Amino acid sequence: MKNKKRSVFDGLLADNTVLSSCMVISPVIICGDTLRNAEALAMAFTSITLLSVLISSFTPKKLPYAVKIIIYAVISSLIYIPVRMAAQEFFPGIITRIGIYFPLLAVNSLIVVQTETKFFRMKRLKMIPTLLFYVAGFVAVILITAFIRELLAYGTINNRMVDADTLISGLSQPFGGFIFLGLLCGLYRALRSLFSSEPATERE
Amino acid sequence: MLKQAKQERLIWLDIMLTLLTLELMAYFYYGLRALVLGGVCITVSAAAEFISLRLMHKRFTADDLTCTSDALIIALMLPTVIDYKIAAIGCVFAVVAAKNIFGGRLNMIFSPAAAAYVFLLTSWKNQTLQFTAPHVHTGIFEKATGLVTSASHSFNLTGEMSVSDFEILMGNFSGPAGAVSILLLAVAALILILRGDISGGAFIGTISGTVLLSYLVPMSGGMVDSIKFPLVTNMVLFAAVYIVSDKRIAPRRHYYAFFYGLFIAMTSYIIVLTTAKENAIVIVALLFTPIALAFKNLEKRIDDLEIQALSVAAQKSEITAEEETEAAPEPEEISKPDDSLDEEAFDLPEFSINEINELIEAEHLADTDEEQNAEEVTGDEE
Amino acid sequence: MFLVNDFIALLAANLILTQALGTSTIFIASGSRRKLVFTTLVITLFTTFGAAAAYAVDRFLPSQYNYLTLLCYTAAVSALYVIFLVLFYFISKERFQKIRRYIHISAFNCAVMGTLFTISGRASEDPALMNIGSYVFAGLEAGVGFVLAALILSAAFHKLNSAKVPASFRGFPAMLVYLGIISMAVWALK
Repeated sequence: MKNKKRSVFDGLLADNTVLSSCMVISPVIICGDTLRNAEALAMAFTSITLLSVLISSFTPKKLPYAVKIIIYAVISSLIYIPVRMAAQEFFPGIITRIGIYFPLLAVNSLIVVQTETKFFRMKRLKMIPTLLFYVAGFVAVILITAFIRELLAYGTINNRMVDADTLISGLSQPFGGFIFLGLLCGLYRALRSLFSSEPATERE
Repeated sequence: MLKQAKQERLIWLDIMLTLLTLELMAYFYYGLRALVLGGVCITVSAAAEFISLRLMHKRFTADDLTCTSDALIIALMLPTVIDYKIAAIGCVFAVVAAKNIFGGRLNMIFSPAAAAYVFLLTSWKNQTLQFTAPHVHTGIFEKATGLVTSASHSFNLTGEMSVSDFEILMGNFSGPAGAVSILLLAVAALILILRGDISGGAFIGTISGTVLLSYLVPMSGGMVDSIKFPLVTNMVLFAAVYIVSDKRIAPRRHYYAFFYGLFIAMTSYIIVLTTAKENAIVIVALLFTPIALAFKNLEKRIDDLEIQALSVAAQKSEITAEEETEAAPEPEEISKPDDSLDEEAFDLPEFSINEINELIEAEHLADTDEEQNAEEVTGDEE
Repeated sequence: MFLVNDFIALLAANLILTQALGTSTIFIASGSRRKLVFTTLVITLFTTFGAAAAYAVDRFLPSQYNYLTLLCYTAAVSALYVIFLVLFYFISKERFQKIRRYIHISAFNCAVMGTLFTISGRASEDPALMNIGSYVFAGLEAGVGFVLAALILSAAFHKLNSAKVPASFRGFPAMLVYLGIISMAVWALK
């Protein structure tokens, strides 16, 4: 294991949840086809993840692993309830648009896996900005993905028509999401290796 | 290595020659636009190949021209009147997403042409499945009018084809420009099999599967028609030659290749029969890629075992008799392909494994307080 | 003939290829034969038994409290999580150390929870499916679909991680594109 020095900004670029760790990818693939869906998903993800991880951080560390995981999942499921109610109140169409991916955000890997491996190993003062950047990293990826997919698949930007004569409708489908995310992931890695001091052996 | 490269180029040349004859036939039926479409596809594919190889810090060599045969296959599967931009997008998809992302021609997973065709089919279904009738020549920049569905479409729905045998052989019925010239395709198949350019096993398997099922579960009334029509429609013959029997994709051994072709043909026949899905064989060929890969993995293991057995036998004979040792092949020579197999099978890069390990770090975390955790969960106390 | 149609239907209903549920987990599962067998087996257990629990939740939870569905599903999966840990511990204490990591991975992820919500969604659209048999069968089917997708991925695992693949695309990006193309073929057959 490489002994890398972690920075609070890692979650945004260097260790992006979606592009680097390939976590929480199903909502990006399925719901990340329009900006409206992406905005809805970003809001739900931000509120559920931030609150869940923050509250979960008060869980005693000495508990067995399985018990801790159950507690995190239960906390995020409880957080989901007010978030869902707030979403229904302020963004009425959000739940219909995201469908089952809304509740699934409550068991996302950032809450269930990364809490133990990453966040709860930090001091709380460092954990909060780190978590914020991880969430921002996810939001950035889903917005970029949705912007490009919506433009190429529907010829719109946030439901406004733009002048595009050849539309690739396949990009709006799940398979389009898989392929697009794979390409984006590869592009991200290429750029990361260009700007980082990683050994040349990792490059072609 | 040099011999292999030469052989690869000869295969490409043979395939290109057969594709060019099909392209000429398309020119006869659909005019200059068929040639322009082929030219656009070849140019875009070559450009995409060149750019993507440069981005991968690799050199563009003569061997990389194999992308042009894939480009021609794509062009021949499409209607000649399709928008050039759509065909160009298909070619870029074939080169970049279906080939070079996986390492290019040295590490082929999918048939680029099949992947591109299915991509176009899912994104532009109408443009991909609507054709002009034969002998209707559309100008190079003209917008096509009077589009018709293919003969395969009407056959799938009615089980009938109102075309004479001669017209079928000559390709005088509506459909993809290259996939309807049955006589030419049959000759091309024969030549390519005899010259070892395509997998004979896969080709025979595909034809056998189609014939077998069309005999057992006929789509048409008469026995001859029920066998003949499924072979000439839905791009079955074209796909059998250029997609299913592609040596880069099909299993190497004829035995496995036969079953690979047989499964594809039978599955696609049933899909056509039950859902009337046009050109299902191309989709099924793409879907059966993991099966081809599984067969190849099996072949590698068999090769591995055979080589191991050979080297053990050689070592034994070395010990027992000197004469036999002289006759036996050099152990180094035998173990060479074995090493290369191992290299390929276990060349997982370290960082890739690390990433996977990062994902399952949670499980290792549990190992830190192993006993305690397990026992606390299960309620067992020491 | 029916087998082929069933196979296509299984692919078309596959939660990974059509809804991308549990994609990260499948990447881990396809890494080695051992991981593949254990992870898919445990996930199938979770989806099958979880589906039975989901039926109980859907059946008895009043509709005005449907915002509690997630909490109830989480409670059900948590119970299964503990039950499986205890069960495997008592079946074989030696193997438990190896098996439990697969239980950890499989319990709370999109594959299991997504399956439960998908089954529940289908049942709410078609009341004929609102019975324990349909739920359990759908859970088992989802698990089998997961096994199938893991097999599809593991067939190409070495090629996708080969040194011949450009470094930027090696591993996950290539796996995503590979699954995308297979998913595209499944979509084309629909």
